[in-house]
Amino acid sequence: MAATGKVLVVVALFMLPIIANGDMCLGPQVTSQTYTTPEVIVSTETVFIVEFSVTCKNGLKNINLYAEFGGKTVPASKIGEPNKFQLSLTDEHKKLPSGTYQVRVFDEEGFAWLRKAQRSGENTENIKPLFTLDLSHPGVWSGPYLQSEFVAAMVAIFVWWSAYTAKSRLQL
Amino acid sequence: MAGGNKNKLSREEELLLQDFSRNVSTKSSALFYGNALIVSAIPMWLFWRIHQIDLYQSAVFFIVGTIVSTYLVAMAYKNTKFILKHKVALKREDAVAHEVMKKLADDKKMTKKEKDERILWKKNEVADYEATTFSIFYNNALYLVLLIVASFYILKNLNPTFNYVASVGAAAGLLALFSTSNN
Repeated sequence: MAATGKVLVVVALFMLPIIANGDMCLGPQVTSQTYTTPEVIVSTETVFIVEFSVTCKNGLKNINLYAEFGGKTVPASKIGEPNKFQLSLTDEHKKLPSGTYQVRVFDEEGFAWLRKAQRSGENTENIKPLFTLDLSHPGVWSGPYLQSEFVAAMVAIFVWWSAYTAKSRLQL
Repeated sequence: MAGGNKNKLSREEELLLQDFSRNVSTKSSALFYGNALIVSAIPMWLFWRIHQIDLYQSAVFFIVGTIVSTYLVAMAYKNTKFILKHKVALKREDAVAHEVMKKLADDKKMTKKEKDERILWKKNEVADYEATTFSIFYNNALYLVLLIVASFYILKNLNPTFNYVASVGAAAGLLALFSTSNN
């Protein structure tokens, strides 16, 4: 009886990686497209939008992915096709200057580890993500120093002023 | 006979009258209206391309605005010219007299009166030309200042069509008003 139990445990241990593999995306291939806010005139915050699709070697579909960016975690929304996701990240203009950013993407298991580490205040850098996305942000354009209508008004006023002084001089 | 002479003005008097009259010749009137039309049509471009008004939908406003503005701007040109003409005439009097006298110095046959008439005529011509061109320049400059300030700053939050009507009306109206001042 005890022997049978031991055999079962051994078999179960052997089976574990196979069962576990069923939920894990192996060798993910990622293609992504990004959008970053180009200017501040029409936007109050800097927004990064990443759209990516994942292809797993083991053909896994309908996985749930989570992203970690600057200490914040957000779930990746599924859009349209099976393994296509979208992420949107926002923050103040000042906090997201131009440069390259890394977004770490986790699957459910990795995300659980991440949450656990965050809860206990441990370093989350060591947790291996499923993959990372590189985001390059060229920076935001804060508009011209002088508005064009201001320049037009100044030029017009200057021309009028010179005409006015010429006119006043006629009276002397 | 004597009464007839009284009613008939001498050539000198006619020239003097012309010098002080508010009437403008057909040629300078055409110049004024032509220029006023061009200047009044400029806001159409501004509101079409910069304030994004549809040119055809607001055609009625544009046409009426341009016509009214043309009339008012031409009026301002005339008023300013009238005021400036005397000032220019006073300023140029000596120079014109000197030049005409130099030109006519060799002409011994010409009487003093004729020479004076020539001087008066030349003075009138010079003053008319200078006053016309300066009046156009001055009023155009002032019109554009009023228009830009009104449309971009004072009325900036209005809807574009109303902004056009109000800023063109205000610019042309103020221009006509300012032109009636004596300074």
